Formats: sequence, structure tokens, C-alpha cells
Amino acid sequence: MHRRMTRELRRDPWFVVGIGLASVLLFLVLLGPPLVPYEPHDMSFHPLSPPSAEHWLGVNDGGMDILSELLYGMRNTLEFGLFTGCVSLMLGVTVGLAAAWFGGMLDQVTMRLADILLAIPAVMILIMIAALFRPSPMTLALVLAVMLWPTTAKGIRAQALVVKHRLHIHAARQMGASGTYIVVRHLLPELFPLYLIGFATKARMAIFMEASMAFLGLFDPSRKSLGIMISYALKYYYLDVWWNWLLPPVILLSLVIMTVTFLAVSLEKLFDPRLKEAL
Amino acid sequence: MRRGRYIKHLAAYLLAGLIMVYASYRLPRLLPGDFVTAMYASSQVTLTAEQEKEIRAYYRQSGDFATYLVNLCTLNWGYSYAFLAPISRLILEALPWSLLLMGGAHVISMLFGFIAGVEAAWRRGSYSEKAGVGCMTVLEGVPEISTGVALLLVFALYLGWFPAAGAETAYAVLSPAGKVWDMAHHLALPLATLVMAYFPGNFLLTRGSMVMVLREQFVETARAKGLPPVRVRYAHAARNALLPMVTRFGLRIAFMITGALVVETIYSYPGLGTLLFNAISMRDLPLIQGIVLFSSLIVLFVNLALDYVYGWIDPRVAYAS
Repeated sequence: MHRRMTRELRRDPWFVVGIGLASVLLFLVLLGPPLVPYEPHDMSFHPLSPPSAEHWLGVNDGGMDILSELLYGMRNTLEFGLFTGCVSLMLGVTVGLAAAWFGGMLDQVTMRLADILLAIPAVMILIMIAALFRPSPMTLALVLAVMLWPTTAKGIRAQALVVKHRLHIHAARQMGASGTYIVVRHLLPELFPLYLIGFATKARMAIFMEASMAFLGLFDPSRKSLGIMISYALKYYYLDVWWNWLLPPVILLSLVIMTVTFLAVSLEKLFDPRLKEAL
Repeated sequence: MRRGRYIKHLAAYLLAGLIMVYASYRLPRLLPGDFVTAMYASSQVTLTAEQEKEIRAYYRQSGDFATYLVNLCTLNWGYSYAFLAPISRLILEALPWSLLLMGGAHVISMLFGFIAGVEAAWRRGSYSEKAGVGCMTVLEGVPEISTGVALLLVFALYLGWFPAAGAETAYAVLSPAGKVWDMAHHLALPLATLVMAYFPGNFLLTRGSMVMVLREQFVETARAKGLPPVRVRYAHAARNALLPMVTRFGLRIAFMITGALVVETIYSYPGLGTLLFNAISMRDLPLIQGIVLFSSLIVLFVNLALDYVYGWIDPRVAYAS
């Protein structure tokens, strides 16, 4: 089953492009910051100088090397997105599986809680907390993850309920397998595709939110982020610096979100038979 | 059964609304130290002694939750010392522009996304349909910030066809028709940005569900009766493909608001997003709090209204659950 999936994925152009882009971006994120010659906070260069051999993308208004800023900014943005994706996925899987397996009161309470959380606009809570308390980005990522788990949990719960009543689970139970064994050895691995999809969609949302919130000025202004770079560069858009200062973060941010979107689209297509037929 | 479902959802929305109101009441009071000092400590706003007395009086008077609720309902939301205006007035002045921009973008992208999706599903497998799906998937991956900046650079800066900021030409004396034209001229770029962000999702979703609907037997029946294809497509099939779009709208509205805030800021469009941006850059906490609470309540209300629309579009939902 899994071999069929990998084969199908390898033939899907969206997946191939997505993985290709992802590896390039990962390469930049992991190897970029140690390789760039300047500290992103080093303000000792001539402000607004155009690209040159020393500064490939020039220098910004504060005298900082734009290429270093860009690579560190992308690392921060991705860190935020992947962390939120991981935490909200773990929360969603735990709650969804528990609700499906135990049922009863636990199911009722968690699903009603999910309904309420779904109704609350996450970004508004984030803006309020960020403006009032100025917490660290990771705290905000945690808050966002706590707001984002319900959709994953609902998806996992629905699928787990289906799997729970399949024959092989009944067989395992007849043979005396404990509840923990069935959940860990059968339910958890069988729902694996859903995790990938949940992770990709949540990470995409979180990256988008991080960029937007940084753009709106809700993060520490000295923290490097693609969003805040765009916001600073946009103030000078009438100068001749837009192509070396404004465009690079814009393009990089689009590439990051595009990568995650392509992966999410191809995974959804593969694992949702309805969609697969449709596409 | 029908009523049970609505009551359950209504309860969830009411609770969510209460949580938002309570959070906006409670969170500022969790700031360390003296409340008013803490709120203005890091802000760009400097208060005179008299203003500080006024602000203390306002917050003492709305000290408990009940008074806070009453103040909320009577539009007594406090005073913004950064803009020197009551918060309620600032918000209500910005609201129409936001509604015009977001509402317009949603109506356009839903309408055309739906029609394009239905037509694409009908022509499934053709070369143009495949190209369309490909383009839309790529566009789905471009965030509003990027489209906004790109359109601003090309159409406002390089070509100079559209204004780069604002919603109207300031102090211009115009005829009514000229005024409408002026507003449309200013609206064009932000609206286009948002439409480009919302359109692909609506298109792809409608196309996907429409492809499934077109396999159902009732479509075959309609065709066999000799109905014209347009009638089969829209009167019989498309109605069933409408539902996922409404669901998606409800699920993503909070996400889409983030994008709208950013787009307004990029074009300095005088809506809630720009107001929020200015409030954040001046660190005017009461105003931020007011905008956040007000927009969350609007989101809740829209979601609640969608719930009814949902049951109206598809009676099965109301009867089945």
C-alpha cells in the first residue's frame, strides 16, 4: 500500500515540484546562515548601497546586509511555521484519537470545545496577546497551535471512527490485544496520511500568519522575518531599491508558501479518493 | 432535529463571543503593575496629567465585567489618545471601507470562481481546463502580501494607472458620478489583490465537487430528458456543488481577514486594517483592543449567518443531522 503511494507521488508533478522547492529552501535555511559572511544585525555598512560583489543584494536603510537578513528572516519564518504545525498536529492527533477511542463524555466535551475554538478567529487572539504582552515568537506559535488543532482533531476523529469498526481491529481485539496496543499499533499508523495533510495545511497557515503579523509590526522589530523586511522595504518603494530589497523577500515568501501548498495539494489528492478521482 | 442543530451551533457561537469579550476585558488587566501606566508605558502616546485622570476614571468606572458589557453595548469603548477621537467613531468610520473592500472581493471571487469552476468541471480533460487548474494551483500558493506588493509596483508605480494609496482623492470637489469613479479607481488595486487571493480556492473547490456531482445519476436523467446543457449544469448540478464553498468560507474567514488587514496596509486603504496597523505602530492599546473585539464579533456573526444559509441551500443538512 505504501509502495503504491510513493510510486503515485513520484508521478505527480505537483509533488515533484514541491519536493524540489522544499529541498532548495531547506538547503538555504540550513546552510545559508552559517555561510553568509555578515551578521544580519551588523549595521556597519553604507546604507542603501546597491548590490555589489561584497553585498549581493545591497544594503538596507539601516546599513544591514540584505542577503544575510533574508536568509535569517526565512529561517525564523520557517521555524515559526514548522513549530506551530508540529504542536497543533500533536494536539489534534491526541485529542482526535482519544475522542474516537473513548467516546462518551470525553468525545462530547472535546468536540464542543473544538466547535467553540473554530468559531473564534485565531488571528484576533494572537494580535491582542502580541500587542499587550509582547511575548516571544515561540509563545505566539504555541498560542496559535492551541487555536488551530480543532480541524485536525475532527478529521482524525472521523477517520478513526471508521477504522475502529473495521474487521482487523475486531480481530485484534478478539485475540486479546489491549486498547493501548490497538491504538498505538493499528490506529496511529493507519491514520498516517492524515497527519501529513494536517501538518502541511497548518504549517502553511502559520507561515502566512507569521509573515502577516510581522508585516503589521506585532513582533519585536529587531527580529528578522520576511514579513518585517517587506514592511520596511515598502516604505522606500519609490526609491530605486525595490528590485534588490523589496522583491527578494516577496519572492522568497511566495516560494515558501507555494512549496507547502503544492505538497498539501498532492497529498490531499493522493489520500482522499474522492479528490483523486476529481483531479 | 432541525432546531437542535441550530441551537447547538448558536450555543457554540455565543460561548465563543463571550470568551472573546471576556478575554478583551481580562487580558489588559493581566499586565504587570499599574494598569494605565502599563498600557501607555511602551506607547508613543504621552498623556497629560488631565488625560491620565480621565483614562483612569474610565477604567475604574468600567471596573467590573458587567459595566464593561454595558459600555460595550452602548458604544462607549473608550478614547484613543493617539488619534484624539472616541474609539467607536474611529472604528465605525473605518468599517464601511473594509466592508466594501472585503465584501466586494468575496462576492466577485465567489461568483466568478463558482462559474469558472462549474465550466471547468464540464470541460474536464480539455487542454484549457488543465492549464486553468495548473495556473490556479500556482496562484493559490501566492500570499496576499506578494500579490499586493507586485500589483503596487507594476500598476501604481511603474505604469501609474492607479493611485498607490487612499480610498478617495483628498479635498477633491467632484460630481456624484466622478466621486464613484474616483472611489472605484482607488479600490481597483486592493480589490484585485484580494480577488486574486480568494479566486483560486473557490475555483478549485467548486471544480472538485462539481466533477463528483456530474457523475450522479440525476445528471444523467436530466441530460436524457433532453434539457439544454446550461440548464443541466446550473439548475440541476451546480446547486449541489455550492455547499462546500459555503463551508470553506466559514472555515477560512479568520484566515482571510489576516490577508485583508495586510492588503489594506499595503495600499493605505482607510479601513480597519490600516487603522489597526497605525494603532499597533503607535502602541495605542485601547484602540487595538477595540478593533480586535469588534472584528471578532463580526466574524462570529457572519459564521452564524452562514449556518442558516447552509441549511437553506441544502435542506438535507438540516433534516439529516
